[in-house]
Amino acid sequence: MIAPPAIELRGLTKRFGDTVALDHVDLVVRPGVVFGFLGRNGAGKTTALRILSGLAQPTAGTAHVLGHDVTGATDMVRAQIGFLPDVPGFYPWMTAREYLEFAGRLFELDRATIDARATSLLEMAGLATVTTKVGGFSRGMKQRLGIAQALINAPSLLMLDEPTSALDPIGRREVLEMIASLRGRTTVFFSTHILADVERVCDSVAILEAGRIVESADIAELTARASSNKLVVQVEGDGAAASLASELTGRTWLKSVEVAEQMVRMTVSDLPTAQREIPAAITAAGVALRRFEIEEGSLEDVFVELVGGPGQ
Amino acid sequence: MTGFGAFLRKELTEIRRTWRLWVIPGMLVFFGVTSPIIAALTPALVKSVAASQPGVVVRVPTPRALDAYAQFLKNLDQFMLIAVIIAGAGVVSGERGSGTAILALTKPLSRGAFVVAKILSQLALLVVATALGTAACQVMTGVIFGGTDVGRLVAAVGIWLLYATLLVVVMTLCSAAFRSRGAAAGAGLGFFFLTLMLANWGPTARYGFFGLWPAMSSALAGKELSLGWPVATAVIAIAVGTVAAVRVFERQEL
Repeated sequence: MIAPPAIELRGLTKRFGDTVALDHVDLVVRPGVVFGFLGRNGAGKTTALRILSGLAQPTAGTAHVLGHDVTGATDMVRAQIGFLPDVPGFYPWMTAREYLEFAGRLFELDRATIDARATSLLEMAGLATVTTKVGGFSRGMKQRLGIAQALINAPSLLMLDEPTSALDPIGRREVLEMIASLRGRTTVFFSTHILADVERVCDSVAILEAGRIVESADIAELTARASSNKLVVQVEGDGAAASLASELTGRTWLKSVEVAEQMVRMTVSDLPTAQREIPAAITAAGVALRRFEIEEGSLEDVFVELVGGPGQ
Repeated sequence: MTGFGAFLRKELTEIRRTWRLWVIPGMLVFFGVTSPIIAALTPALVKSVAASQPGVVVRVPTPRALDAYAQFLKNLDQFMLIAVIIAGAGVVSGERGSGTAILALTKPLSRGAFVVAKILSQLALLVVATALGTAACQVMTGVIFGGTDVGRLVAAVGIWLLYATLLVVVMTLCSAAFRSRGAAAGAGLGFFFLTLMLANWGPTARYGFFGLWPAMSSALAGKELSLGWPVATAVIAIAVGTVAAVRVFERQEL
């Protein structure tokens, strides 16, 4: 039997009055992957997560989590998910362990399981020796406790809204390592506007812009696509780069060319033709070649191309 | 009602570990202790004020245990009900505003369980606090005035407690309906003053829960009570208010 997608959105739309927060979003997240939900602030990421976690209702379309419609079987869905909102709110009079125990009781876990998981999760979150009440925690500590509480039920799907945004570099690295360690065991779906986080741990990514999915693919496929249209040529001698650029001007496959000192960077529409014609152009321009290679693409290139502005 | 037990346990622990343990019980015990003292001192206070006015002669009857009870009930009617309104205004909106409700409600905790646990925990606190305050009043009254009629006090406080229960439910409904604690408190005060007004109108007092107000003083005075309609409508209003609070909260997006 084929497992249902961890998340499946079909035509998901959410309006707040005249404002369209999500506009016919279609998305499928395979089980077991680490999935990055990338978009600028205000793109609609949090709205989508609120619908997926049952906190809000869609205006139109459907949202399924682990095969269940989120607008229907909510308790069944909630028992299998872990959720961390962008700003987690805790009872300030509790300790971290007390909060995990409270969360464990809501999932109706037995005493021994709660004790064992609370101990290991506090260890993972770096809060095992902290005895102060949550009211005295820093934002980073709250964020780490937030991730720990989202894992208390060993969820099949972990949904995290901007989990690293409040963390210092070390805390961020720890959280990303923890997310990566869940690959294959738990589906992790996390929203972020930080491209580096997605590149670092995600298998797949969807890019959301103004409430619409503008791209959804595996990271490797996206970066390969970005790589496949960028070439860099390094030549020797004063004015050599400009001469080569001049020689290339007018070629139908050349989308853009940029000259910087002895480098010529090109974005092309037809890579094989460009690979064939550039050596001939180098010869025709009479310049000495030092390096000619396909430039490694990045998620940032894809993001900028699709969204029209840099992420963080 | 998924998650009800775990959430009710959290609520009761929260009462025990925060300011909530001290405010309502503290006020009730304070009024229980001071009401008999005020009743005992009132004649002397009135006479001293009258003595400063030449030609004014004031005759004040000797205070009795019933005056101490009446003073206690007056404090319950005025200050305690306002305290219940203020404390109840943030019971749901506070959790929504601080984000604690989001974390809890994305676990297997139904919104119905959330609201009902809130109501029951407030009632548990109120019942225990009222019992403590009433006991304090009875002890002080016995010490100051000697023989007392505790049955009347218990009957009057029991009627007050039923009205306070209704107010707890109404405040939970207001707190679920309004995002702001101030708006919820305002709506609760509106309800409070409306019931006070309608308590003075014959038909509503006779056939509605508004009749609980005059019934308190009647119970204290030892008059025969006709509580059927007021109690029945209060119980119905409590049930309807609870269901409404749950429905309102279920329809909200967090």
